[in-house]
Amino acid sequence: MLTAKHKVGLIFFPAFDWCITPDHPEREERLLYTRDQILEEGLLDVEGIEEYRPFVAEDKDILRAHVCVPSVAARVTESHRIAVGGTMLAADLVLDKKVDRAFALLRPPGHHAMRIVHGSRGFCTVNNEAIMVEHIRHRLSPKTRIAIVDTDAHHADGTQDIFYNDPGILHISIHQDGRTLYPGTGDVQERGGPAAYGQTVNIPLPPGTGDEGLLYVMEKAVMPILADWEPDIIINAAGQDNHFTDPLTHMNVSARGYARLTDMLGPDIVVLEGGYSIEGGLPYVNVGILLALAGLDYSHVKEPVPQPTQPPQVMGQIERITETVMRAWATRDQVDRSRLFGEGEYFQRHRAIYYDTDNLLEEQRELIRLCPDCSGWRLIYSKASGYYSSLTSRGQIAAVVIPWLACPKCRAEAENKYELIAKEGRCRQVFLQDVARDAFTNWRK
Amino acid sequence: MDIIGIDVGGTNTDAAFIRHGRVVGMAKVPTNHEDLIESTKQAMNEIMAYYATSGQVQLHLSTTLSTNAIIEGTGSPAAALGMPGPGVNLAALDLGFPFFPLGGYIDHRGREVAELNEGEVLAAAKEAKRAGAEALAIAGKFSHRNPVHEQRAGALVAASGLGFSNVTLGHRLSGRANFPRRVVTAYLNSRVASLQTHFCRIIENLLEMEKYRAIREVLILKADGGTMSLEESCQLPVETILSGPAASILGAQALSKHTQENAVIVDIGGTTTDIAVIVAGEPLYQRRGADIAGYRTLVPALFTRSIGLGGDSEVHVQVEEGEVRFRLGPRRAGTPAAMGGSRPTPTDAAVALEMARIGDRGRARECIKELAEPLGLSWRQAAQGIIEAFTGQLVEEVRAIYQRLAGIPLYTVSEILAPPDFHPRVMVGLGGPAQVFIPLAAKLMGLPWEILPFSEGANAIGAAAARPTAAITLHADTELEVLTIPEIGYHGRIDRALLFDRQRARQEALRQAASYAQRLGLPDHEDVYIVEEESFNVVRGFHTVGRIHSIRAQLRPRVRRIEVTEDIADGKA
Repeated sequence: MLTAKHKVGLIFFPAFDWCITPDHPEREERLLYTRDQILEEGLLDVEGIEEYRPFVAEDKDILRAHVCVPSVAARVTESHRIAVGGTMLAADLVLDKKVDRAFALLRPPGHHAMRIVHGSRGFCTVNNEAIMVEHIRHRLSPKTRIAIVDTDAHHADGTQDIFYNDPGILHISIHQDGRTLYPGTGDVQERGGPAAYGQTVNIPLPPGTGDEGLLYVMEKAVMPILADWEPDIIINAAGQDNHFTDPLTHMNVSARGYARLTDMLGPDIVVLEGGYSIEGGLPYVNVGILLALAGLDYSHVKEPVPQPTQPPQVMGQIERITETVMRAWATRDQVDRSRLFGEGEYFQRHRAIYYDTDNLLEEQRELIRLCPDCSGWRLIYSKASGYYSSLTSRGQIAAVVIPWLACPKCRAEAENKYELIAKEGRCRQVFLQDVARDAFTNWRK
Repeated sequence: MDIIGIDVGGTNTDAAFIRHGRVVGMAKVPTNHEDLIESTKQAMNEIMAYYATSGQVQLHLSTTLSTNAIIEGTGSPAAALGMPGPGVNLAALDLGFPFFPLGGYIDHRGREVAELNEGEVLAAAKEAKRAGAEALAIAGKFSHRNPVHEQRAGALVAASGLGFSNVTLGHRLSGRANFPRRVVTAYLNSRVASLQTHFCRIIENLLEMEKYRAIREVLILKADGGTMSLEESCQLPVETILSGPAASILGAQALSKHTQENAVIVDIGGTTTDIAVIVAGEPLYQRRGADIAGYRTLVPALFTRSIGLGGDSEVHVQVEEGEVRFRLGPRRAGTPAAMGGSRPTPTDAAVALEMARIGDRGRARECIKELAEPLGLSWRQAAQGIIEAFTGQLVEEVRAIYQRLAGIPLYTVSEILAPPDFHPRVMVGLGGPAQVFIPLAAKLMGLPWEILPFSEGANAIGAAAARPTAAITLHADTELEVLTIPEIGYHGRIDRALLFDRQRARQEALRQAASYAQRLGLPDHEDVYIVEEESFNVVRGFHTVGRIHSIRAQLRPRVRRIEVTEDIADGKA
């Protein structure tokens, strides 16, 4: 019988009765073969791998990370609540020291879900990791330093959006270059907001990257950055679509490559994200990750089909990207932020966000107070409509965000602004997100 | 028809004679470990005294033969050949028996990825033989999805003339996933096969004898609480392990008034208490299979939890902040003082308080008093403390079992929103100390209770109450156009796979289960039903190209209701 070196809590929730549509990549049988492989390998008999049943998350859990328009109930299914609950449970197991590490092997995924939720994008509706992060800070302390390393092949634009101005979070996303894959973002130059500049780290990799390239950036960029930043907790958003058999991406990583990545990173919590090679990739990648997390031998994990080699020109590109990332990291405090964010009282940005899954277009205007004493309160105006016609819009909403550890001035300003916008009545709905007080209210016209 | 139930247990061999669903006689002989057959014969002789000159008798036998062989490491020296493919490194698994890894690899959908190397099979079999193996197990990863490698390897070994006494193929033992357990189960089966065959031949010879002429049929008890024929038991002897604990649960089920409810069965003995769970009238199974002597198997088995708490348990005293607390077990103190022992036990506490009327009350009180005085307690206070401790520990264990059940993983949204209800509605107690502790424990849990009239011999009644069980697992992959039923070694094409929908898959599973049961010679073979089913699309690109149906169908498990008349119940038999 096998005994794990690290005690692992496995929250396996394949949601066998939930799909976006029956032929969609995010479909009922996505984790079927993974379950078959895990059972057949006897991994649930390993001493020190314990399986847990997720709980169903409540509105409040979700509202710590999101503003759901018009309400949580309108946007999320029970399946999302269970995936969120399972991810939160992963954190609880680790925080309560019931296990050394936890693996939330569940669906639906979440890393494309941004703070404002009008619908689903990139198969995601609410952000499992972000909600877990807020749960951890709610339980422990807002000062808990949390690093998220997202190894999905798609840029984790949702997680980046939620934490882009959050000084307590280091968000590293390794992904296939946005110029070649959804969602298109994730350039090295996206480095975070005024209060957390440099703590958004994007490492776009060229198509064709294999184990060698991925492990190179892990060793030369991710691990040194983590060592430098010294997080209390490391979360791995473990998308599995860098696998060489994935139908949606163009990468060449193997199951053993993923296992070595996990081994090197030594995350406290792993959460499944994407990965749609449900037969040829996921079963092997998940077995590899589970073995590596438990500290067991993964050298015999191998796919039935041979792994293509990484094209020769790719390595040079990866070395140059790594160099750029490391230079940016090293000099992050020397950058003149007033040049980037202005010298006024507020930094403002305009964005158009496309919801591919629901075919919606969101127009967003965001203001962040450039506060010397805290990360600054935020105001987001947002309007979503059907992609083909702005006539379908249900009108503008506003969201007032009071961050963790907000200074009294920012708090007072934010609270006043919430009242004022509501009184003006120009927005259909106004939200107040106050994590520190765990209070989430909204006003409706 | 008359039925004799015999349970050859670790200490005693119990027998019960059942006529028209009533217990008409019981017998008990000490088990002779060196000669289990002799013990069986003795019990048969004693219980046949209740035979009423005419009519046929069916003998239901539960033996510890395989269990003992596995625990004691006896049986035929055996080895396993395996086709592990890539995955977990089996070398680290430390199986505890010779294991020869071979090439050849089947994937999770039952597709051959790498061919079996026939030369390697023969070389490994020869090597195993040379190293002393007399029996051989062959098991491949995902052989329950495609048994061809195991079947081919088995045929090669059979044709090789190496002369193994038994060759067990993994896929025949279970339709469930778990390669390490498959290897272990096949190995154990091959190891005990000769013993069981020998046992069956002797039983058959016995039946030729005049005094056993009335016995027309012999059925062997399995760990899942069902029976199988003598012939089948020679093929699948590993299924007879742990039939004793299963027989006790069946006995409780057969005797209880609560036949359709959720119940917790608590069998309190001298050394241990065994707890089992009934859900809507059916006993709960071990989730992955029976565990025995450190081996994890795929053998379907009833769930029981055995704890070191009984009428003869040791009494420990803890003093915390001036408060005296009693803690019982897990070891046995010995015979209760009331019955001639020297150390106080829970039984003595019950006797002292006149909750039980056995043995010498004076001695029980004396012994409790010796324990109580240095603690500054009266004998009555100490005895009450011990009774409370017993009840508390028992309830704690029962609650822990249900707490674990309440957290079992579920894989669908609908199940998580409406999880299965295991919660007991009644506590059913048996065993000597049950009349003392069950009412107290049930009260603590807020449950009604029932005490069965047998402190001993419920296992033999359970053996008699057992009915046949048989199950098949159908796996149909309409894209690959392949249908597999590992339990019968079937792996063949599906005709017109496009039309093989869920309804067809169900019909086929039921038909196959019924014909399997019929081949096993089981009555009521038509009474089959579906216990588990899954049906998933197979999508290529963005188009559905097939469906995978996985269906488990089985003969409806039943337990005979058995009545008991006053004069045969406890203490009067």
